[in-house]
Amino acid sequence: MKKLYIFLLIALLFLLVLPKFLSSYVLGIFIMIFFYAYLGQSWNILTGYTGVISLGHSLYVGIGAYMTFLLTLTLGLSPWIGMWIGGIAAGLIGLVIGFFGFRFGLKGVYFVLLTIAFAEIGRLIILHLKVFGSFQGLFITPEFSFANFQFKENTPYYYIALGYVIFSLIVVQLLERSKIGRYLVALREEEDAAESLGVDVFKYKMIAIFISAFMTSLAGAFYTNYLYYLHPGTMMSMAFSIEIILRPIIGGMGTVLGPVIGSFLITPLAELSRIYFAKAGYEGLHLVIYGFLLVAVVLFFPRGVISYIKKVLSPILIGRVIK
Amino acid sequence: MNLNLLLQLAISGFLLGGVYSLIAIGLSLIFGVMRVINFAHGEMMVWGMYVAYTILLWTGVDPFFSFLVSAAILFILGYLLQRTVVNRILDFPEAMQVLPLVGMAMVFENSARIIWGPDYISPQSRFALSSLSLGSIMIDTPRFMAFSLAIIITIMVLLFLKKTDMGKSIRAAADNRTGALLVGTDVNKVYAVCFGIGTACVGAAGGLLVPLMPLSPHIGAPFTLISFIIVILGGMGSLTGAMVGGLIIGVAESIGPELITNIFHGVGLDLEFPHTMKQVVSFFILIVIMILRPQGLFGGKKG
Amino acid sequence: MKKKMNRRTFLKYSAAVGATTAISGFPTILKAQAPEIKIASIQPVTGVISDIGISMRRANQMAVDDINAKGGIKSKGGAKLKLLLADTEAKEEVARTEAERVIKEGAVCLVGPFLSGNAMTIATLCEQRGVPFVMDVAAADDITRKGFKNTFRVFPTTTKFADSMLFYMTRIMKDKNISKIKGVLTNTGDLFGRVQGATFKKTLTDKKFPIELLGHIEYPLGIQDLSAEVSKIKALKPDVLFPVARPGDAKLMTRELYKQRVELRAIISPGSPGWYEPEFIRDMKAISDYVMDNVPWYNPVGKMYKEVNAAFAKKFPGKYIDTNSGYAYLGVLVIADALERAKSTKAEDIVEALKKTYLKQDLMVGLAVNFDERGDNVNADTAMIQIIGQTLKVVLPDKAAEAQYIYPMPKQLWERGM
Repeated sequence: MKKLYIFLLIALLFLLVLPKFLSSYVLGIFIMIFFYAYLGQSWNILTGYTGVISLGHSLYVGIGAYMTFLLTLTLGLSPWIGMWIGGIAAGLIGLVIGFFGFRFGLKGVYFVLLTIAFAEIGRLIILHLKVFGSFQGLFITPEFSFANFQFKENTPYYYIALGYVIFSLIVVQLLERSKIGRYLVALREEEDAAESLGVDVFKYKMIAIFISAFMTSLAGAFYTNYLYYLHPGTMMSMAFSIEIILRPIIGGMGTVLGPVIGSFLITPLAELSRIYFAKAGYEGLHLVIYGFLLVAVVLFFPRGVISYIKKVLSPILIGRVIK
Repeated sequence: MNLNLLLQLAISGFLLGGVYSLIAIGLSLIFGVMRVINFAHGEMMVWGMYVAYTILLWTGVDPFFSFLVSAAILFILGYLLQRTVVNRILDFPEAMQVLPLVGMAMVFENSARIIWGPDYISPQSRFALSSLSLGSIMIDTPRFMAFSLAIIITIMVLLFLKKTDMGKSIRAAADNRTGALLVGTDVNKVYAVCFGIGTACVGAAGGLLVPLMPLSPHIGAPFTLISFIIVILGGMGSLTGAMVGGLIIGVAESIGPELITNIFHGVGLDLEFPHTMKQVVSFFILIVIMILRPQGLFGGKKG
Repeated sequence: MKKKMNRRTFLKYSAAVGATTAISGFPTILKAQAPEIKIASIQPVTGVISDIGISMRRANQMAVDDINAKGGIKSKGGAKLKLLLADTEAKEEVARTEAERVIKEGAVCLVGPFLSGNAMTIATLCEQRGVPFVMDVAAADDITRKGFKNTFRVFPTTTKFADSMLFYMTRIMKDKNISKIKGVLTNTGDLFGRVQGATFKKTLTDKKFPIELLGHIEYPLGIQDLSAEVSKIKALKPDVLFPVARPGDAKLMTRELYKQRVELRAIISPGSPGWYEPEFIRDMKAISDYVMDNVPWYNPVGKMYKEVNAAFAKKFPGKYIDTNSGYAYLGVLVIADALERAKSTKAEDIVEALKKTYLKQDLMVGLAVNFDERGDNVNADTAMIQIIGQTLKVVLPDKAAEAQYIYPMPKQLWERGM
């Protein structure tokens, strides 16, 4: 395990000095990698570790983004503060969804559809509210300053995004080792057995969904102040939810590094396929290839890429971190 | 409260619901038997639409006949898809099943764009503009024909499942996979045929919808969602349920916003439930059904 | 990509230059050494509005090719423009990455991106990187209200749309002696639709205009069934329908209006793309007649328009220059003109030159392109176009008109023998 930590430390140091050598464009790609790795990790808490599948996580990003915006607008609150309040709001909504789902025993595809339904209803409601820009969307005024969470160069965004990822890794690592984490995994594997052993299934699932929703929504503040435009059509859509789950699934659910590895694989893949395959007259070809690639990766790495890496590297690295 | 308007909306919605039913039946078969969430369902329907459109373009044959060709081609596509991809993921954890089909959805959607172009196409078919009137109520002819044909196809599928050997094998494999294996059923083939029939239904539905709505490669996704809502409402594995569910959802989406607005005004609220939120009505129905009666209206087993 | 200049490469190069000079004469050397100026076209070529994105990219490219054919940027030694291609996929995060990419690849100016949301993201990035950005098409007023120094918009703002619409309606109502019109407004639930609809509605109220809106119906973008909405329109019994629609729902709506026998005096759009797309007329045939649309449009009597349209139609059979492709072409002309006057490829110089733009053109309705302090084109305007005999004709303003407008519709949709 020590070897793994050393490896991670070296990787971290590498990532820390990278901005000095990279162009703004490549930094931007890294930012997206980190952004999605963070989102995937937050989702991982609920689905990978607890086994509750959600396909409506974009809802929480939306709540985080819109709450933060609202607080800035009405109270002049910096997004750095606002995002935690947004997080609580998202967590509460998560609890509502969890209540409907867990209390009424909705599992598998039923729960998935529940999450989709809530996400879609949320999207449609926000789409009709004038204060959130309605169909027009919100054009965020750029005023570059740290307090505003807005920067001219990509480098600050890079470090912040990296910070988000490290934060999520720590949370998941702590969770894995804690009592809560063990219960969650027990729930995932054998819910009935866990219940008969006296584990309060409902309580722990609610904890999981709260944490997952809370963390996911923190990314909303980043999104708002990086892209400067909010619209429920993009940030609370099913397409976005699917992008969120893509990376942890491919990387490996229920593992600490899975979402990160998945993001490092998928995000550049999408970018490369766009650059090389987007040709006139064949617009959309890159998406066809992307689609096929998704199918192929899942077929060949059903337990996620990380399980394959584990197999290859296990003679060298044995660690508790990679399960 | 404009009763005439409500009635008109209800009938219109009911007829469209017939086509929704057909789409949902396809999904019900697939989901009921294989427990797979076919995220490519809507996109495959769009292919069915394009096939019928292409036949109209090249031969002038109306989609109300060529939907059969759509069904045939989609059967083949579905069969192949099942044998190559879906079969391998049947035992995967559910989360992993989502991705390959989402990937296939992207493939279908974007290859449709490359082949047929991104523009909205609204071909003129024979009945596209006609309508019948019953008093002050307008009945949309293409919609009526789509409805009637959808019902006929549904009945045929039901008969197939009840009477033929293959149909019985499918039902057996749905109820008990191990049992079916034990009695020597070629489960893989059964599953492939079942998936094929499911996609054939959706292909036929696509053909029937060509006179009704403009085609574009991107219109598939909402149909996937709607068909899931209908299948759950009707009851997993119940084809009658999918039929009834489709009609209910068709009507609900059509009169829902109007009714709710009337209720708002009735209790003194100066609020309007906008038509742009009509999907909220279906999602709301979904949530209520899942909580109160998760097996759906016609479903047997719970959950 | 720097080629390593070793002896072998140098000799090869010299030999090639020598040979070509010998064969074709002296000017070849100049051509081989004239630099390229890179600009980038950033449009939504994939995704839900790829039809428009593709059309705009084609127009951007055609303009670049035409400029190069006429000698490139003469003040920079005949430097040719090279168009880098970027695809936003209609998504903000992709728009940002793509903009970043083309800037890295050396684009000195960007043109695009049709969608206002994408435009906001790109404009912010261009401001951050200090690169000029010319919006060929993007309607939302907000973008030029953020104090950006590098962003310029050739397209009219939504306020302009509404103002022009009222101007034309005033004319029609005066000519036909109409004191009041009862109307119903519909729009799609996308950015453009909603903003168009809302601005039209607000302008009517603000100016106390004698058009009474009996109803305002909105429906989701990508809707497949408008029977409920049209039933509602019918129940309201308006004189005129004011629909803001995209191609898909425009056709859907017209068919529904036909089937439900909704009687109308006219269909006049305050400004939307659905009604002028070639596919609309092709698929609707006689039912498309008499629909009017208030849109930024090409100038049918303009010399530039005639040339560019002929070339475009030849290159892309079945397509013609419309609002979006027209402005896409114009956007590149604006950039080239600025480069010509800036005599430099430095960002600050280009921005300065853009500020001073006064580009005479008769490609689009409206006078010379001229930007105000916010970056909006003060002379951008709309025209009222109408489908007559299944062809699009400009009917107002008079000086660009190809035909006289027809109001009310002489035949209802179902009386046209279809």
